[in-house]
This record gives sequence, structure tokens and C-alpha cells, in this order.
Amino acid sequence: MTNQIDGSEPDEIARLLRERLPRHQVPARLRVSIVESLDPPKSRRRPSLWLPPALSALATAMVMLLWLAPALPRSTPDQIQRLSRAVMSEYARAVFSGEVNPETAPAALPRVMRESGVLLNWVFTGDADITLVNVQPAFLEGRRALAMTYQDRDGHSVSYIIARGPNVAIPDRGRVQIARWRPLVRTEDGVTLIVWKQSGLVCVMASDMVSEADLGRFKEYFIKVRSSTELSETY
Amino acid sequence: MADDEFRQQALRHLDALYNLAVYLTRNGSEAEDLVQETYARALRFSHRFEPGTYMRAWMFQILRNTFLTFYRLREREPALSETGVPDGEAPMFHHAPAVDGESAGAHMDLERALGHLPEEFRTPLLLAEVEGLSLEEVARIMDCPVGTVKSRIFRAKERLRGLLKDYGAQDLTT
Repeated sequence: MTNQIDGSEPDEIARLLRERLPRHQVPARLRVSIVESLDPPKSRRRPSLWLPPALSALATAMVMLLWLAPALPRSTPDQIQRLSRAVMSEYARAVFSGEVNPETAPAALPRVMRESGVLLNWVFTGDADITLVNVQPAFLEGRRALAMTYQDRDGHSVSYIIARGPNVAIPDRGRVQIARWRPLVRTEDGVTLIVWKQSGLVCVMASDMVSEADLGRFKEYFIKVRSSTELSETY
Repeated sequence: MADDEFRQQALRHLDALYNLAVYLTRNGSEAEDLVQETYARALRFSHRFEPGTYMRAWMFQILRNTFLTFYRLREREPALSETGVPDGEAPMFHHAPAVDGESAGAHMDLERALGHLPEEFRTPLLLAEVEGLSLEEVARIMDCPVGTVKSRIFRAKERLRGLLKDYGAQDLTT
């Protein structure tokens, strides 16, 4: 096999790159997604006239449902209940005794991934609002897990725990639409939990952000974490 | 700069950003995530953009920084080594244009060789030679002096030649 690259000048490589290297086309869904994300809110469609009465009726229905809720049969799976308690313990441990190591948190990830059996292909390490401050292996209900702790600008701690749990089912009841996801959101003993499954793993975010305003911010943190994390089991 | 103008300008660079993202991540879905995150950050920090400067270089800079923040964590790619090139399988590529068999082979060799270059070599090479950015713009994106950019591009080409030779790259110059 001959090689006509031999003897060529480095600029020949530049020509090859320009002429022979394929240009990858932007997938249509990505283009749409980017355009939508750049779309200023003022240009979005105004709500239709039927929306206020419809919302009012919906609110009335929800109030009645809440009033009747205590009388309805409860079917919260024990699995989620137990998992929630375990996560709350882990969250409390992170808040009261967890170390804050923002300098070493990302660097510790490879070791913690090995020890927890959870592989993070892509992880949210923080931004101007929230920072990853600690990462360590954990155990939840006898399951190996990976626990990350974030801290926001106001000092709220947010635990993000990923546990192996192929048999854990997340019930429909209590799920809330947040951006394009629909995780379970619940508040217990002053701690808000957001629970979802991703790549066969159970993911839980926990924080003491329970007020309406704080919950809105907590959901924003969920969107950041959820959209920036890709994970899988290693073994 | 008005928001609308900023958005319109930012959108113009989507194709180039995605193309670089694919060559950086070697994975289509990760490239999509990277580009989405790049635009999210660009919008968030749009107030820092200085009108009159090149938005293209600014966007590329955000993309590369985002890539380094997330990608290096995975330790898939070792840091720059002066003596060797990283090991690894041939990269995955998506949405490549349809080509005939012979030409496809040449593309594969080029892509494979490119994938074996360390990021510090690959990025300036692609920015300068494929995207046509000036050395000054590349230096700003890479956060290093122009001389370093020149040196890396030169060495990248040398390595690419060596790799193509190893593959027995056929008929690439015709």
C-alpha cells in the first residue's frame, strides 16, 4: 500500500483537513432545542383566553382532591418510603458532618465511582449558583451508592445520591413535571426529595429547601443536575 | 448588544460549534449535550460579551471550557504528553456525510488519526485549519500565547502525518 502523505509538507495536512474531513451536520432536534432555548420569553405565545377559567376549575378540583386525600387509600410503596428515610439520613450526615472540599471534589470522582459502582459519564460540577463541594461513596438500604453534595450561594446544602436499585419502582402519584422530566417530589420532616430513575439507577436529590420560593430554586438545581449528568452502572 | 442581536449572532455559529463538539467528544449525543450547555452558558454570561469582539471565538472558548470541565473528569483522555499520544479506540462519529467506499476509507483514517491527537493539539488544529480562525483568535480560545498555538498546530500536523503513515493511508493527497 502506498502512502502519498510521505514527503508532503505540513500544509498538505491542512488541505486534507479542509477538503476531506467530514463536517458533521447539526441534528434537527438540536437546532430546534437551541432556537427554543434562545427564544426570549416575550416572543412566546400569549396564553389563550380560555386558560384562566380552565386553571380556576383545575385549582378547584385540586382543592377538593386535597380535602378528600386523607380519606383515599394510601398506596405509597414501602420501597420509596425506606429509600427516602435513608436519603434523609445521608443528607443529615452530609449537612452536619460532611466535609466541604470544593478543590478535591471533582478529583475524587474517579475513586468514588470505582468504590460505588456508579459511573458518571458526564456530571454537573457547578456554576455561578451552586457548587459541588463533596463527593463520597455511600450505602442506602444496603445498596452501594454515590453521594455528591452541592452548596448554593445562600448556603443551602443539596445532596445528590445515586444508588443501584433496579427493582425500585417510582409511583406515579406525587410526580411533578419539571422541564422535560417528571420526577417524584415529596417533602418530609423539613426535607424536600426529588426522586427519579436514570439508566436503571435510582437518583435522589435532597435539600432543606421547602418554602415555595426555595422549592422553585431547588427544581432549577434539579434541571441543572439532571440535564448535565449521564450515568451508568460499572458492575 | 441587544438580546435579539446577540441571539441571532450566536445562532450563526451553531454548525461550526457542533462540528467541533463532535470532534472533541467523538460521540454524537455528547456533542449535542456539549453544544446545548455551551449555548446555555453563553446566554447566561451574555452580559460579559464585549460588542465589537468576535463572537465566534467567544463561543468556541465557552465550548472548549465546558468540554474540559466535564470531559476531563471522565479521564478518558490523558493530559497532554510530550512524548506520546493517548491510547484509545477509533472514535464514534455520527451524521457523517454519505461518501463512496474509497473516500469513506480516507475519511475514517483522517478521523481516526485526529481522534488520537491530544485535545491540546486537536483543538487548535481544527480551529485554525478547518474553521479558519486566526492564530490570535485560537490563542484566545486556548488561553495561551500565539507562539504556543503555532507550535501546537505544527506538531499536530506532524503527528497526523505520522499516524496516517502508520495506517497506510491511501490516496489521501489526490
